[in-house]
Amino acid sequence: MMQKKVCMLGGFAVGKTSLVRRFVTNMFSEHYQTTIGVTVEKKTVTVDHQDMMLMLWDLYGEDEFQHVRESYLRGSSGYILVLDGMRKATLDTAHMLQQTVVRTVGPLPFVAIINKSDLQSEWEIDQTIIEQLREQGWPVFFGSAKLGRGVEELFGHLATLLMDPSLQPRAHS
Amino acid sequence: MTSPSPLPSPSDTGLFNQVLSALDIALLEWEMNSGVLKLQGCAPMWWHEFPVASGAAILDLGHWSPFLRDFLTYVQQVWKDEPERTIASGPWTEPDQPNGTMTLEARALPLGPRKLVLIERLGSDFENMRSIVQRARERMLVEDSTAKSFRHTETRLIGQLEASERTKDDALALLQQLGLAAMVLDERGQVTFATDRTLEMLGLAARETLGRPWDQVFSFRKEDRLLMQHLLEGSTPTCSGGPFCLEGACTRWIELEIHRDVRHPTRHILVLNDRTEIHALRQALNEQASFHDLVGKSSAMLRVYQLVRDVAQVDTTVLIEGETGTGKELIARAIHSSSSRKNKPFIAANCAGLTDSILTSQLFGHKRGAFTGAIQDQQGLFEAAEGGTLFLDEIGDIPPQVQTALLRVLQEKEITRLGEAKPRAVNVRVLAATHHNLSEDVLRGSFRADLLYRIRIARVQLPPLRERREDIPLLAQSILGEICAATGKRVERLHPDTLRLLMSHSWPGNVRELKSAVEFAVISCKRNEVCPEDLPPEITAASVVPSSSVFIPLSNRDEKTRLLVALSEAKGNRTEAAKRLGISRATLYRRLVELDSQPH
Repeated sequence: MMQKKVCMLGGFAVGKTSLVRRFVTNMFSEHYQTTIGVTVEKKTVTVDHQDMMLMLWDLYGEDEFQHVRESYLRGSSGYILVLDGMRKATLDTAHMLQQTVVRTVGPLPFVAIINKSDLQSEWEIDQTIIEQLREQGWPVFFGSAKLGRGVEELFGHLATLLMDPSLQPRAHS
Repeated sequence: MTSPSPLPSPSDTGLFNQVLSALDIALLEWEMNSGVLKLQGCAPMWWHEFPVASGAAILDLGHWSPFLRDFLTYVQQVWKDEPERTIASGPWTEPDQPNGTMTLEARALPLGPRKLVLIERLGSDFENMRSIVQRARERMLVEDSTAKSFRHTETRLIGQLEASERTKDDALALLQQLGLAAMVLDERGQVTFATDRTLEMLGLAARETLGRPWDQVFSFRKEDRLLMQHLLEGSTPTCSGGPFCLEGACTRWIELEIHRDVRHPTRHILVLNDRTEIHALRQALNEQASFHDLVGKSSAMLRVYQLVRDVAQVDTTVLIEGETGTGKELIARAIHSSSSRKNKPFIAANCAGLTDSILTSQLFGHKRGAFTGAIQDQQGLFEAAEGGTLFLDEIGDIPPQVQTALLRVLQEKEITRLGEAKPRAVNVRVLAATHHNLSEDVLRGSFRADLLYRIRIARVQLPPLRERREDIPLLAQSILGEICAATGKRVERLHPDTLRLLMSHSWPGNVRELKSAVEFAVISCKRNEVCPEDLPPEITAASVVPSSSVFIPLSNRDEKTRLLVALSEAKGNRTEAAKRLGISRATLYRRLVELDSQPH
């Protein structure tokens, strides 16, 4: 069975661990516990009748205390950019991380999710910004790890992208 | 180049194991060709709890820890270029027993040909660090939330402020559009706001109004200013006052509504109502009801008022005709007051019953010794009235010699004092009055025709009171007010029956008789209302005459019949007939001539 390394990237407290936990164990905790280092979770998905094991690298959140080690990104097949709809600053972090990925391992299939759609009325990221992201070629999903909304679609879409040979990464020094 | 460090000799094994145990580190030797990791020395306690790595070797690294496999792949790549480099993995998490996790960190250590991997379970120091980072991030989240809350509040307040500004602008626009004159006074009485209409009414620019005390903005008379001050100091939430006169180039009359600002009771909102036009109309109305000291709004009197205005504009001699008591002197005074001579003397002289010499002396003055008793030089009334008006009442009674002298004065504009030869120039306007029919007097030869034509250039005929009965209530009320003011007696009105009696009386003595009757009634009156029994007996006695006939205007034929009947009843005695009719003998005679009804 093929395995695909997928990195969860985003600012701190955007909900990377919660999305992985909801996807892998279908559980959610209101208690915020910051991730230090890396946790690798696995889940098998089926795309076009083919099983695929997603190795989900839940990386610590990017902020002034911790910066993503480029070594963690090596060997990735794709990544998920996680944004917190209630904090516009997480969009800047996502932009910066995306550039880091491109610089380190080249263009990879990715999807972006604006998390915490259960609090959409309080979002700072508005429709105009979302349209701009989509114009830049970002596949943007809305989701809520808390409600389990949009999570399966998120990982399913990325798995589909990972199956597309035209989107596979070329060798990158 | 240093030689590769050997692993501890058997003699050192004990110490080696103690060090590993103390550091909680698993030491693995990495056979790079096979990829197998073999445990060296004693395993730390956590190693045995590790579900997959319980043995002494890790054969399937990918299954054991995908993270470690990636790390070692990365290490292999690095060591190709930097074979001596020690590489740390950074922390990662693995499952622990039961259902827990543990955080590990690997370090790849090249010792010559031997490659070692040290795996350390991160303990309390790491947890402390995690706790610090956790708290820092939670703090950042709280601050972010607080900042967002502030931003929301700021946005909301800005929105409210903008809405408030818009509402204020709308209200102002509405105020301006409505042309409402309003202003706001602060707690010190200074103007903080004024609409354009207010500025227009005050005749001031905004810079001359805003920030200034109200009493400098309103050009009030002293008494109005005091009243306004009183209104502002009052305790009622709303009050009104006025009309106040705003003095200036263009005098305005305003009424004020003063409202306390409900939010700031020390501030006042003033609404100004321009009553200038109403004031002017009211004045015009009052003028119609009275003119100078004349009272009456009958059409006859309104014609008289207009005539007075007209003759006041010219400087000609005027003959005022009317029965006794109709107010001929009042007309003369009104002409004088309305004329350009109003600031000069007005002198009235009654010419009736005076001898030739006395009247001459009075009018023209005399020189000392001109006649017995003339002990000093004396100027006459013409000189006394210099620049002004001389009113000669009862001019029909002046002797012929005086008529001649008067004619000369009117023609030459100069007088000669009695006993003097040298004439003196005078500038006097002569107004004359008589109850006589001077035309008849001319026919009889008792009055000079040329003098008549000279004094009758303009003429005002005053109607008798019986011919303007509709003025009687107004006159009676006015007289009542004057008498009460003079006597201090409080009689407020006339009973309708009293008025009815007054209206039906013939008033041969005209307004003078009316005044006398009302004065009599006020003295008799015991209530605040004049009742019929308070009136003089001649008026109450006359009430037996059906009053209705009084109000019916008579045609010429009716009047002629009435005059003839009265003459017949008086057995041809014109004086008696005139008395019965309530008119003067002269009027009776004149009316008979006019109606061509000479008595047989």
